[in-house]
Amino acid sequence: MDYYLSQAINGICQGSIYALMAIGYSVVVGVVGLVTFTHGEVIMLGAFASFYTFQLVGNNLIIGVIASFLASAFIGVFVFKICYERFFNAPRHISLICTIGTSMLLRNLAQIIFGPNNKPLLEVVPNRFFGQGVVGLTLVQIIVIATVISLSFLLFLFFNRTRWGIMLRAVSQDKTAAAMMGINVRLTSLLGNSIGCGLGGVAGMLLAIYYQTLVATMGGSAGMKAFSSAVLGGLTNIPSAAAGGLCLGIVENLGITISSASFRDIFAFIFLLLVLIVKPEGFAKKTGVRP
Amino acid sequence: MKRKLMGMALLIAMIAFAGVSAFAAPKTYRIGVMAPITGTNAEYGKGFQIAMKMAADEINAKGDIKLELIFKDSKGDPKESADIARQYADDPSIMAILGDFTSSCCMAAAPIVDEAGLVLLSPTASNPNYAGMSKYAFSIMGRQDGEAPFFATYLLKKYAGAKNVGLIWVNSDWGKSAHDNFVAQAKKEGLNIVADVNYLADEKDFSSAIAKLRREKPDHIVIMDQGLVPTIINQIAQAGWTDVRITTLGPGTSEQILNLSKKNAEGLLLTTPFFIDDNNRTAKAWADRFAQIAGFFPTVHPACAYDTVYLIAAAIRNSGDKVTRESIRENLQNLKGFVGLTGPIQFNPAGDIFRKYLIVAVENGKFVRKTDYDYAK
Repeated sequence: MDYYLSQAINGICQGSIYALMAIGYSVVVGVVGLVTFTHGEVIMLGAFASFYTFQLVGNNLIIGVIASFLASAFIGVFVFKICYERFFNAPRHISLICTIGTSMLLRNLAQIIFGPNNKPLLEVVPNRFFGQGVVGLTLVQIIVIATVISLSFLLFLFFNRTRWGIMLRAVSQDKTAAAMMGINVRLTSLLGNSIGCGLGGVAGMLLAIYYQTLVATMGGSAGMKAFSSAVLGGLTNIPSAAAGGLCLGIVENLGITISSASFRDIFAFIFLLLVLIVKPEGFAKKTGVRP
Repeated sequence: MKRKLMGMALLIAMIAFAGVSAFAAPKTYRIGVMAPITGTNAEYGKGFQIAMKMAADEINAKGDIKLELIFKDSKGDPKESADIARQYADDPSIMAILGDFTSSCCMAAAPIVDEAGLVLLSPTASNPNYAGMSKYAFSIMGRQDGEAPFFATYLLKKYAGAKNVGLIWVNSDWGKSAHDNFVAQAKKEGLNIVADVNYLADEKDFSSAIAKLRREKPDHIVIMDQGLVPTIINQIAQAGWTDVRITTLGPGTSEQILNLSKKNAEGLLLTTPFFIDDNNRTAKAWADRFAQIAGFFPTVHPACAYDTVYLIAAAIRNSGDKVTRESIRENLQNLKGFVGLTGPIQFNPAGDIFRKYLIVAVENGKFVRKTDYDYAK
């Protein structure tokens, strides 16, 4: 029993990183209205931003969070300018393919600039273990979960208590209606995209701290997991996307517990398929009709 | 005056002769290389590139034959290796292929070179099934049915005194063969395998696999992988699991382990067929030259890569006037008396070799050789 509990804790920790990636992803998809394939690279660049920041100013987590958020938000602006801005009224597949191209560009540029080797990110958080025997939390797990919860809370406040947040939600629900209400849709989408990417960047930093390494090709699988979690949550619903990420993490780890780590993705995607068959809209409650 | 004239004449004669020998320019042979220059195993791919270029430059400087190496990045992906092998096979100017790094990549390319009749000489593939796949497939790493049993008997049982062992291994062609050969020998030696977990090559999160191992309380863990070994070592340390000795089969004396795991790697035990230290002068000089270019110290893998270039050169020289893809294969298979940087190399009928192994430990952030080649007696 202890053992399953400790595996569930591992799952929650991994799931909360997935959750943060998925939150970023669904913010992007929500405000832009298009699926993106650059999220993995945005996550990777966030990790690298924190890596170089830690080298410059020492292991300060708060500065790391800010740096990775800003760097990825900036990449978000770049992605927006290239992939979305000119194609709002064009068929959807154009900007979709554009995001795939941008993702390749960013990944290969990163390999050239940062080099192909794994980079170590050791001792940002000291190895400390709280608990008894196998059951317990490590310090880095606590920090990961705490960061994810506090960022989600800030995002919740931003969306529900600020004018910009309300504008973002309006754009996410209906661009035409929002424009008629006098909202600058282009600028608001740009902001939303940058916030989503920034959150992805912080998730990248957490991934790098948790796994203690980073590499230019880490974005591929991360982006895929972010996408799956967001789909579980119904793509644009933020709390459901977070729940989706958490579930995915727990299901994967419990799956590994009863079988083999080689089957990680099998459990993740079978779970995704089952949920989509039973509840095609994901965890999100479907209210009203979407245009 | 007369003497001066004589000297001049001699000089002119020498220049003229040099001119003549320059006329009979050495023939250039194009050799295709595939290696994981990017991706998880990039350290090894980069090492291949540098070591092979060093060897080719030395051979070209000698001047009897000229080798031109063409490098292609297989990213450690068997699909890419198969594609690259096909490209090389279709290019009639390519005389042989050197590479790839992993057994999976080599095994994906083996049927293609078999069909094309083109030698595929891998510095590092050690799956015992690989070289037997084709008479054109060769490897000089030594085989997993040599190293894995050595690891079980001599490193774990004799050297470390292990009783209960936990295994964590990459589920690939190489990992599977390392694992199966290890388990077979461990059973013979009476080692108790208490936990056995595997994962796929692009895994990042080992927390649940580690929890699984930890539950069974092994006294030694064996990590069977190359590029991911530092990640696993770090995650074991992160989980606060300290009452276990970590050993690893596969990465050799990889600097990545020291760089990426730092003090988490302290006490790590591993095996290698080749070790560079101050006692081994030629190897040390070679390693220093390598490090100057590469910026990191070589493992056994680039040293093997270096030897493969000399092997191909020897096979070309032995082919005489008419060098073909087939003549290179024949002369490689029948090569006798070759001594490379990593020791004597003579292929068995399958096209690979058995090696002897050393036990190495990480102490104070450095690899330290613990046993000699005669430990297995």
